[in-house]
Amino acid sequence: MADVEFRKVRKAWGAVVAVDDLDLAIEAGEFVSLLGPSGCGKTTTLRMLAGLDFPSAGEILIGGRRVNDLPPAQRDIAMVFQSYALYPHMTVAENIAYPLKKRGVPRGERGPRVAKVAEMLQLGPLLDRRPRQLSGGQQQRVALGRALVRDPRVFLLDEPLSNLDAKLRGHMRAELVELHRRLGRTMVYVTHDQLEAMTMSDRIAILEGGRLQQFAPPQAVYAAPANRFVAGFIGTPSMNLIDGELAAGPAGPEFRAPGLALAVGPLAAGTQPGPACLGLRPEHLSFGTGPLAGTVQLVEETGHEAIIAVTLGEGGPRLVGRSPAGLALRVGGQVRLALNGPAAHLFAPGPTGRRLNAPSPSGAVAAAAAGDQP
Amino acid sequence: MTAIRRVLFNLFAWTVVLAVAFPLFWMIVTSVKPQSELFRRPPTFLPETVTFEHYWTLLTRTGFLDYFRNSVILSVATTLTVVAIATLGAYSLVRFRYRGRESLAFLVLFTYLLPSVVLIIPLYLMLVTLGVSNTIFSLVIAYTTFALPYALWLLRSFMAGIPEDLESAALVDGASRMGAFRDIILPQLLPGIISTALFTFILSWNEYLYALVLVNSDAARPLTTGVMSMLISAFNIEWSLLMAASVMMSVPLIVAFAFLQSYLTSGFGAGGVKG
Repeated sequence: MADVEFRKVRKAWGAVVAVDDLDLAIEAGEFVSLLGPSGCGKTTTLRMLAGLDFPSAGEILIGGRRVNDLPPAQRDIAMVFQSYALYPHMTVAENIAYPLKKRGVPRGERGPRVAKVAEMLQLGPLLDRRPRQLSGGQQQRVALGRALVRDPRVFLLDEPLSNLDAKLRGHMRAELVELHRRLGRTMVYVTHDQLEAMTMSDRIAILEGGRLQQFAPPQAVYAAPANRFVAGFIGTPSMNLIDGELAAGPAGPEFRAPGLALAVGPLAAGTQPGPACLGLRPEHLSFGTGPLAGTVQLVEETGHEAIIAVTLGEGGPRLVGRSPAGLALRVGGQVRLALNGPAAHLFAPGPTGRRLNAPSPSGAVAAAAAGDQP
Repeated sequence: MTAIRRVLFNLFAWTVVLAVAFPLFWMIVTSVKPQSELFRRPPTFLPETVTFEHYWTLLTRTGFLDYFRNSVILSVATTLTVVAIATLGAYSLVRFRYRGRESLAFLVLFTYLLPSVVLIIPLYLMLVTLGVSNTIFSLVIAYTTFALPYALWLLRSFMAGIPEDLESAALVDGASRMGAFRDIILPQLLPGIISTALFTFILSWNEYLYALVLVNSDAARPLTTGVMSMLISAFNIEWSLLMAASVMMSVPLIVAFAFLQSYLTSGFGAGGVKG
């Protein structure tokens, strides 16, 4: 049974629709990320789950219980805020003990439980300090401690790492994964950072414009994006997206754009020739040899590899690829390159055009596609 | 060059300080001079003999203590009423979304567009109709009408400075709305509440016009009008008694300021939220 469930949830502020027609079922013990650009509705979704905002329509269930009209206190949740929201006039110990106090845990029991959480998060020496005397990372841990001190059914995390510096963020990411493994609780994590979502989640829900674009495990989101938005959003550098035309070629369907003709794999049933969009990950371009010629626009050496931007032919599409370091390329020079046609993705036209590829026989993508509908 | 500028600046600053402080100094000096020394020419800057007879006269032979008690009751009651209403009102104006919220906030300031003289007569008539005229209670109502709008705006800006996340966190942690208000908002708002309370207290402690018009019995008269009617008549002004009364009227305000000043200046709520 799903632990957290959204059924046709909609949230509108006047004429502005923040979340529309959201269906989402999160299994017990799952770590789910809500990922999307600013203003995609991910924070609104989380706040509705927390009971801080109320849906305009639809149902939200936690543990099979409809919670639409329940105040946050009665939902058995804990939340970590982006700003941490520590109570400035309370010490660290008082901050962590506050949820216990509000739920009527006797004073004598609070001390040991706070101590246990403090030990887990290495907050012991800080218990008597006030939040303003702590560093960002310490404040973050206190916020986490306040969520952990109770044993709630669902943890909600609203971009908890976004105020930390890059190194600490990497560290806390690993800590959170470890914490989730140890607690085995359902966690819903809001982020705009795809690296966080990809590395931590069991499944990722990608939102855009208040609508769910795809809900699948990270590798499926990467290998078989459900539509053009997901394809362009996930991956760094992002997927090459080329607008062109789908036509019947001599040996099966073919994608055509200026300076480019590529045979593409089997397509979904009912796909018609016409305008389409080709998506190709940078790692599916290979440089040095190949049937195509391009002009080098930009070479970015990152150390272990190079990110190379080329334009195909005269005024053709611009493509970005990765190549092992050491390939001697000059900006403005010519380079031969090949595209990995079977790995290409095809999408219907439009910003969220749906995926046109037939489910691939290759293992990874097949598993990924299966993960799409659990 | 810089030395000259410093001297000039100091000179200027001390002139301002003296200009402000001298009347206060003169008030104290006059209140402790014996009657014989009061109008002597040339005047003595420091009294030759110090006497507290005027204070004694004031405390034992006049209604000063009654007026003082009235003023305390009046100011405390007004302050409590204003702070209680303004805190909840400011909370509503900042946190809840409803139609006309902004217009409402501006509307309360309209009181200040009208001179108090214009408001007094209708207010007096209303209080008479309510049957509370000539009581301290009527003054509490009257003072609340003009202290509340300012208090509301003052607290509104303090309240807007408290991050909403703090309250959301308290709600998630299991508090009810009133619980979150009490546990989180009120402690954060304390500096704002104290400055608002101080402002209201001073306003009602020093108020004269409404007290003059609305109250006409010694039982309800506060210090301002009480001292005036008691010591100033058409034929005579009891200067030494008046100065002694003024000193004693200033004491509560000075004490309040001395104790609360640190609250007013301390950055109490800083550092709770990162970002």
